[in-house]
Amino acid sequence: MRPHWKLFLSSLGALHADRMAERWESARRLLRQNGVTYNVYGDPQGIERPWPLDLVPLLVPAEEWRQIEAGVSQRAQLLNAFLADLYGPQALIRSGRLPASLIYADPGFRRACHGLPVPGNQYLHFYAVDLVRDSDGSWWVLGDRTNTPSGAGYALENRAVLSQVLSETYRYCQVERLNPFFNAFREALLALAPGRNQPRVVLLTPGPFAETYFEHAYLARHLGITLVEGEDLAVRDRRVFLKTLSGLEPVDVILRRLDDDFCDPLELRADSSLGVAGLLQALRAGTVVVANAIGSGLMESMSFKSFLPSLCRHLLGEELKLPSVASWWCGQDAELAHVLDNLDRLVIKGANRDVVLDPIFGADLSAARKELLRQALRQRPWDFVGQERIVLSTAPVWQGTGLQAHHVVMRVYAAAVGGGRYKVMPGGLTRVAPEPGRLVVSMHSGGGSKDTWVLTPQRHHEIVGVRQPPQRDLRAAAEARAIEIRGELRTVGGDLPSRVADGLFWLGRYAERCDSAVRLLRGSASRLFDSGGVPGANDELDPLLRLLVWHNLIPAEMAKPETSVRELLPALKAAIFDPDHPSSLRANVQRLHRAAHSVRDRLSRDMWRVITQIDRESRGPAGSGEGAAMLQPLDELVTSFSALFGLEQESMVRGPGWRFLTMGRRLERAVQVVSLMRALRIADAARPVDGRQATSLSATLEVLLELAESFMTYRERYFAVVQKGPVLKLLLVDPDNPRALAFQLAILRDQLAGLSENSRRQATIYNPTATALAIVSEARDALTQPDLVRNAALLRTTLDTLAANLPEISNLLAHAFFSHAFARSA
Amino acid sequence: MPSPDRPDDAPPPVRYRARHRTRYDYGEEVPVSHHLLHLAARAHPRQRCRRSQLMVGPQPAVRADYSDYFGNPVTYVAVQEPHRWLDVASELEIDVRAPLAFDAGATPPWERLRHLARALAGADEATTIGQFVFDSTLVRGSRDLLDYAAPSFSRSRPIGLALLDLNSRINEDFAFDATATTVSTPLDEVLTKRRGVCQDFAHLTIGCLRSLGLPARYVSGYLRTMPPPGRERLVGVDASHAWVSVWVGGESWVDLCPTNGRLADADFITLAWGRDYDDVSPVRGVIMGGAGQGLTVSVDVEVIDD
Repeated sequence: MRPHWKLFLSSLGALHADRMAERWESARRLLRQNGVTYNVYGDPQGIERPWPLDLVPLLVPAEEWRQIEAGVSQRAQLLNAFLADLYGPQALIRSGRLPASLIYADPGFRRACHGLPVPGNQYLHFYAVDLVRDSDGSWWVLGDRTNTPSGAGYALENRAVLSQVLSETYRYCQVERLNPFFNAFREALLALAPGRNQPRVVLLTPGPFAETYFEHAYLARHLGITLVEGEDLAVRDRRVFLKTLSGLEPVDVILRRLDDDFCDPLELRADSSLGVAGLLQALRAGTVVVANAIGSGLMESMSFKSFLPSLCRHLLGEELKLPSVASWWCGQDAELAHVLDNLDRLVIKGANRDVVLDPIFGADLSAARKELLRQALRQRPWDFVGQERIVLSTAPVWQGTGLQAHHVVMRVYAAAVGGGRYKVMPGGLTRVAPEPGRLVVSMHSGGGSKDTWVLTPQRHHEIVGVRQPPQRDLRAAAEARAIEIRGELRTVGGDLPSRVADGLFWLGRYAERCDSAVRLLRGSASRLFDSGGVPGANDELDPLLRLLVWHNLIPAEMAKPETSVRELLPALKAAIFDPDHPSSLRANVQRLHRAAHSVRDRLSRDMWRVITQIDRESRGPAGSGEGAAMLQPLDELVTSFSALFGLEQESMVRGPGWRFLTMGRRLERAVQVVSLMRALRIADAARPVDGRQATSLSATLEVLLELAESFMTYRERYFAVVQKGPVLKLLLVDPDNPRALAFQLAILRDQLAGLSENSRRQATIYNPTATALAIVSEARDALTQPDLVRNAALLRTTLDTLAANLPEISNLLAHAFFSHAFARSA
Repeated sequence: MPSPDRPDDAPPPVRYRARHRTRYDYGEEVPVSHHLLHLAARAHPRQRCRRSQLMVGPQPAVRADYSDYFGNPVTYVAVQEPHRWLDVASELEIDVRAPLAFDAGATPPWERLRHLARALAGADEATTIGQFVFDSTLVRGSRDLLDYAAPSFSRSRPIGLALLDLNSRINEDFAFDATATTVSTPLDEVLTKRRGVCQDFAHLTIGCLRSLGLPARYVSGYLRTMPPPGRERLVGVDASHAWVSVWVGGESWVDLCPTNGRLADADFITLAWGRDYDDVSPVRGVIMGGAGQGLTVSVDVEVIDD
């Protein structure tokens, strides 16, 4: 066993399955709570897969790392110089060092980008390389990532989790920290906008459905830059602007996570709805920097690999330090001949990203299939590369009861830090093949991931086996905390794109909508179980059933007194957990989750944690979940929604983002109160003439108080049996009851007024904010009508008017702040 | 077509005035529109542009002129105030010479050109010739295209004869039908339906040639509106036209118009060339918002005397 492994294992203690399982469970919990996910394309739910992390990190000793570091940095420089030539003078082609067909046969060569000015010839700002180790322990390059390299955010998250779960071992092994790398990258991005006082850097994401959206949001937070989608940006006067609530703000640097051909529908893919029309014009005018430069994806093509050793000598005057696995691009006659003659010992791969082809292992093919492959190679030789097979080494992976050897690929990152230099992240994202012996390693095919620990040099000669006394692990905690704090610290007064305001507004609305649905469903479910199976035994069940029907949660015929509990239960269960039921709680939680997902970088970690919890709790009880098992998730959900509301109040800066979230909340609550009263026909509930009617009225009022969370308040204030007048006062006009309509309207007025002050758009003749304010003040006036709670007709018309007008505020806000003109081809 | 040794008794050039107008009606106010225009005439050995004028209304806030990767002039215009329509009017005055007589039988065997195209050395030749042999956004070589082309490209046939044969076969096999296809109709659908417009036939021809390994470019331009006395009016007048330019060795290219089944001559005005329509469409744009979109295009090319 190599010494660094002894070091690691000695600090881990005996590998007891129980202890490891415990650690594994807590790692999984942390990942789940932090919402670390990986999206899989083509899944109808846009499902987020939980991120798989192995407990055993990949260990790299210091001197081994020094070589990797030098190699990766050199390779980044080389690829950058390569790009600078191909998108500039093309001397490599002119001089005959490269065949011209190499770029012309490659759809990744973006002709529109040729000759665009690139400051300092810095094309490649963020680079990743996949490395594998052969059986001799040497590292080889498997592939380069130069377009939008992914995974660095996952590496950070892996570190945050593992440094907590294995805190003692982490400290004991003296692992290189990751944060200095990200700080340097952030500084480098800011420095790309020289002369600008407060440069604006944004991270451009394809959006919440992108495979690695979690990471986009995470990195944006970690780097303290604004996460934007293409529709948040606009080009005016050949300059890129961010559409914010207060107008257009100039953008200086775009950190790009959008594939290069999608970046500008005007000059690249016309069918892209994810890009920014006119972006290339802004680049041509030199008013913005895009990192990585559009077109950099070219260097990912397998066809380029075999030219690197000679180009390294030519461009950098050095030998290539990290070898690529030997390959032959079939676009040249001699190379094609070699590949055709040696199919048995080669892997055939696509020459560029547009050739969709799983690696073909020549040796595995039948004679007939081999002949077909030969034909394909001869037909379009430039589409293929033959690559030598190498014997991969393995790394230990924890598998429930012990360690298993799996193949691994280590992805290492480098960032341009100015002056053509690169800084290499001391660590990386290591991916693990899904089972022993599998050669294809990818997150798509169900593999796992590992943290990568680069050991610091000084630790190296310490005597293995001397356990230091356990102490509070300050260093691990500090790193985890630094990552955490960095995330919480957003750029103060950060830009709020209109789309994000929209997302937060709807997050507020859905959160409140779900909250009131949970209370209604819990009230109904608990009464059903209490009634002992006899409907009508419980007077409050009747108004609750009417409310369920009103909210389209159960079919109307179910509200009849003769419906048995046995019939009601499945309907109620569907109303709670069925995602295909359009009004169900689950469906609304999914909407809530989507809204939250789209503004994820704006939410604190704790808020996100609660939202994932809500998502989980609303999936329904495990197993049959009959009877009272239905109640437990509802109870948990009530608590979770309260926690979410509490965090909104206590953990969010009162900026424009909070303003929209709160307006969404309050508007929805106002709408819900009005809706409750209309559904229960409270205006028409006449003075009871007999005992039955009296019972029915008081049951209705109690349900109203319960659902409006105001029972305690009522008791405190009135001590008496529930009566219609006081109940209505408490829920409609009481300015101090946080559940009362008047309370919501007061907040809406304040927030709208604040919005109107900040908005530059009020100059226009048609002012939607002012119209919304007018609706709110009309509603407030209506509540001051002296006879309101006594005059049934007046109450009825007032409630009807409110029900018609309040939702209009949503549309007005949408019109004023969220409405985007979508780009389309003309 | 480059023809360095033009004899002195060659016919004089024809002088044209070409007017091209494109009008969009957006139905609603559009706050911003961005357009890329390939409306000026590129450098061309048989053409001399005397005057070129572009008028855009409403007045664009931004106008930038530059050359694209293929050497075509491009203009970027952005209208940044709310507008309900956009009017792009271009006017050219241009002299066009007829190409030298094409001795199709004297051209090299087509396999020879395929071989040369693969072995091109030097960046300039690769840029001017080599890049037109590979797939592009709208034209990908395929087995079906190869099969369609095969009868014209019998063994060792001079490329000129093969091209003329392919050109007239496409002209005969395919019907001009402005309703059959749109800009986004894929090539294999055109091949199955056997109908389309000049862009489709140009793409089809290019697809056939690329499937054979022969370099071919897409040419965007205009046709003379009224034919010379005694000749028929061409198909594709009154709109922008497209045809194909094929490398036949050295610096020579031959221009084929499959839509009319003939070689391009002094009736054809070249604006731009690229790998396909996507590289050189005359007007390409992105607008923000807007409801429906009405489009009116007119092209008028008249012979003028100076």
